[in-house]
Amino acid sequence: MSGPAAGVALIALTAAALPLITRDSYYLDVATTILMNLTLTMSFRLQISTGQINMAHISFMGIGAYASALLVTRAGLSFWATLWIGALVAASLAVPIGSIALRVSGPYYFLITFAFSEVVRLFFNNFFEGLFGGPSGLVGIPKPGRVLGLAFDSKLALYGLMAVMCVVVVLALVRLDYSRFGLTAGAIRQADLVAETLGVNVFRYKLTAFVLGSFVAGLAGVFFAHFRQVLHSSDFGLEPMVLLVVFTVIGGTGSVWGPAVGTILMTIASELLRELHHYEILVFGAVLILTMLFAPEGLVALPSAARRLLRRRRRQATAPAGAGLAP
Amino acid sequence: MSIELLVQALLNGFGLAMVYVLVALGLTLIFSILEIINFAHGEFYMLGGYITYYAYALFGLNYFATLGLAILTVGLAGVAAERLIFHHLRGRALNAFIVSLGLLWVMQAGAQLAFGVLDKPVPSAFSGVVRVFGLVMSVERVVVTLSAIVLIAALYLFLRWSRPGRAMRAVAQDPDAAALQGVNIDAASALGFGVGCALAGGAGGLLAPLFAVSPAMGALPVVKAFIIIIVGGMGSLPGAVLGGLLLGGVEGLGALFMGSAAVNILGFLMVIVVLLVRPRGLLSGA
Amino acid sequence: MMRIRASIATIAMVALVAAGIATRGAAQDKTLTIGVLGPLSGGAASYGVELVRGAEMKADEINKAGGLKVGNDVYHIKLVSYDHKALAADAATAANKLVFQDKVKYIIGNAVGATCNAVQTVTEPEKVLFSFVCWGTNNLGPDKPHSFRAMLSQWEVAEPFYRWVKEKHPAVKRVALISPNDTSGKDTNTAVVKALKGLAFEVAADEYYERGTKDFYPILTKMLATQPDMLDVAAAPAGEAGLILKQARELGFKGAKGWTAGTNPFTIIGVAGKDAAEGVWSPTNINVKSDFVSPTVRRFGEEYEKRYKEVPGVIAVANYAAFDVFTKAMQDARSLDTDKVLAALTQKPFDTVWGKLVLGGKETYGIDRQFLYPVVISEIRDGKVVDIAQVLPAALKK
Repeated sequence: MSGPAAGVALIALTAAALPLITRDSYYLDVATTILMNLTLTMSFRLQISTGQINMAHISFMGIGAYASALLVTRAGLSFWATLWIGALVAASLAVPIGSIALRVSGPYYFLITFAFSEVVRLFFNNFFEGLFGGPSGLVGIPKPGRVLGLAFDSKLALYGLMAVMCVVVVLALVRLDYSRFGLTAGAIRQADLVAETLGVNVFRYKLTAFVLGSFVAGLAGVFFAHFRQVLHSSDFGLEPMVLLVVFTVIGGTGSVWGPAVGTILMTIASELLRELHHYEILVFGAVLILTMLFAPEGLVALPSAARRLLRRRRRQATAPAGAGLAP
Repeated sequence: MSIELLVQALLNGFGLAMVYVLVALGLTLIFSILEIINFAHGEFYMLGGYITYYAYALFGLNYFATLGLAILTVGLAGVAAERLIFHHLRGRALNAFIVSLGLLWVMQAGAQLAFGVLDKPVPSAFSGVVRVFGLVMSVERVVVTLSAIVLIAALYLFLRWSRPGRAMRAVAQDPDAAALQGVNIDAASALGFGVGCALAGGAGGLLAPLFAVSPAMGALPVVKAFIIIIVGGMGSLPGAVLGGLLLGGVEGLGALFMGSAAVNILGFLMVIVVLLVRPRGLLSGA
Repeated sequence: MMRIRASIATIAMVALVAAGIATRGAAQDKTLTIGVLGPLSGGAASYGVELVRGAEMKADEINKAGGLKVGNDVYHIKLVSYDHKALAADAATAANKLVFQDKVKYIIGNAVGATCNAVQTVTEPEKVLFSFVCWGTNNLGPDKPHSFRAMLSQWEVAEPFYRWVKEKHPAVKRVALISPNDTSGKDTNTAVVKALKGLAFEVAADEYYERGTKDFYPILTKMLATQPDMLDVAAAPAGEAGLILKQARELGFKGAKGWTAGTNPFTIIGVAGKDAAEGVWSPTNINVKSDFVSPTVRRFGEEYEKRYKEVPGVIAVANYAAFDVFTKAMQDARSLDTDKVLAALTQKPFDTVWGKLVLGGKETYGIDRQFLYPVVISEIRDGKVVDIAQVLPAALKK
């Protein structure tokens, strides 16, 4: 258990150390975005780990965000209450949606969840405009209120809040990954039918992962609403969803740390490339293609791949005229 | 609301459905042979559009010759994409999906770089409108729909009777068995990808004079194509035609009764309902 | 495998070096950095690209003339422009980068309504002066004293435009409107409907379509069934407006045509074709090729076309003019301090490519932050844009 614990500790320490190095608003903003995306990609991987690409993951972030924004601005609730309510709304909507979507699998699952996400986005954009703001979006969402004598009106405080949320979520997800649940999920991914015949209720596992993931996405969404203070349906559309998939897969879905590596590297790269305009997506696209071709297991698998390669080299060096049938 | 209006609305919906069916058939062909969901499919459609712009609108080549050129060039581009990229990703659906996203970005940004950002108009090859019983449709749309039907029929005959077509179907059904029968899997895959892209290129060429061309033009048809294949059933040609007609009809009629922006939700709701009732689409495996 | 790692490393290095070169820029003694935001890739890219080009034209003009003289100092102008892909959250991050990383005090140019709101959450608390061409009504207000709209919006042009229509074309009684389903579209239709009702027109249809739509047969069938005398492609961008007009003609529409929030008339003529575009009236088109515009505008148009191989639309001209107004205000204030420049901006009229320009709009927005300049009404005749009338916004008459 030292591996995962060390990983979480590393994330927590890095997050805690950042404000000591810089308090520049821009860096804090990017760091907050990374932590927010990290909770999203980690919870997204939880579902990929059962072998399914859920293209509606971002919608549950949107549901949490809109729910909290409305409850705070219309019903006058406190952020600290809606943080949980928003996430619970997302999770409870995930039960029926997940139950429907998980009846199909593979590409059908991919496309039905994509359909769900478009329905949600178009709903926020075109229906009940007085409530959701329609295509103009929602503006004037307040920052989190004071709690326990702490104010959350500065970039630093919001960063701290997100860091705590992220570390708690990552800790929980890593525990889960190394638990019986995680092992079962792995078994389901590798052999759906075998797991089924061994008495695993595959559907229930997948649904649990779906609802749990949606709960976390909802949490991130609530934070997003009060961090950005502006909501628009396009923030929960195909483009940001695609970025989540990219972050996760580039990092590597095989390891619980893949999404972390992918999210951090890709977000920093995209900030560095922001000035390149459309060349940015040109470079990004090329990087995606090359990474998937030459590092198919994702970036986290590179060190072990290199080690394997080195070992093989060494073996070749000791037995230069090795047998032709070596494995 | 008059009957005439209802029929016109249906006609509007069906009007271009066959072109989207072409895009969808390309997508489903690629999926059944390589098990890849090609997100960059719309970019091949865009490529077909720009070939039409340059060859027909600027260079003055004959419209149908241009269409042939678009189909051929985009088909070759597809073969190249398969050999250089997707070939190495067989059996890795997730990786292939990410790569297709990368390809989408590269092609879209490349188009913006090469062709500029503004919409480029392509003049109509046919003018005038057809009026029957108070119903209206432009000659251009009639020609486009007929051309699309011809292409669909050609694809059907190719898959049904030609040697490479049958090889492709064999690979789609069971690659291992096909390989045992002596089918060259590599060749069939490359050809399948090429034909799939060629269909998108043809659709782009057909619609270019109707819709003008722009670097981001591929997004819309590919979403429609997704809806069509999922409703009709992956890998089914008649299913795609049925899916196209259903989507066109629902959207055409829907536009009468609700805001046009909200109509887009209907297609996605249809996907959800169909998959609930028939988890593999209406005509899967046909 | 070694080769693989090397190639990835190379890509990463190239990317980093490219970004490094891009951000370092020219190191002169006095540099004024000005930010531009906008969608520079994807479906709305044409807006952002025109904003950047307009700013580039003005910045280069100033730099070539030896820099911007403010008080006793001469500044070299450096432009920093970021792509926000028309996404609100991305726009907030980009604005953060401009304000806190590049230390920009002026952001001249942004488009797409929802992103404007997001940028304002960053610029207003930091007192960064921010001008944009977004049409959201709520983008201007007393709570946003540092925000400006650098282009006439529907609230300024709809009423004078339809007053002109009523006077010159009394046969037009029923008007059908269509706009994209976004902030600018919604607000444009709202403003036009208000103007129409005030002038006793009938609103035959008030419709929205999802941006990116290409096939307008379904929505047009419904709209034309209401038998309008005039079709206004209100806030539709040039390409889509062209498609609507072309398809309306195919469906048998023969009435009058308007484009209240017109942008690039040359694109509309190209896409719709000469016949379908014939007779379109628009109050906001800029026709850089017209014989009536000032030599400065014509020269701007020629240089722009030479440099970018595309004809400038109204957004390019608007941002060019905004850049001009802001730099002139800096010179008037003899300072780069935003408070002083803000005071200089609202003090007196400016002489621009639009003609005389003042900041007004208090009646509509509660604060004078809207650029006001003469409204030129143009008509498309035989594939050419002809200016036919000029109307002054109320504030400019004073």
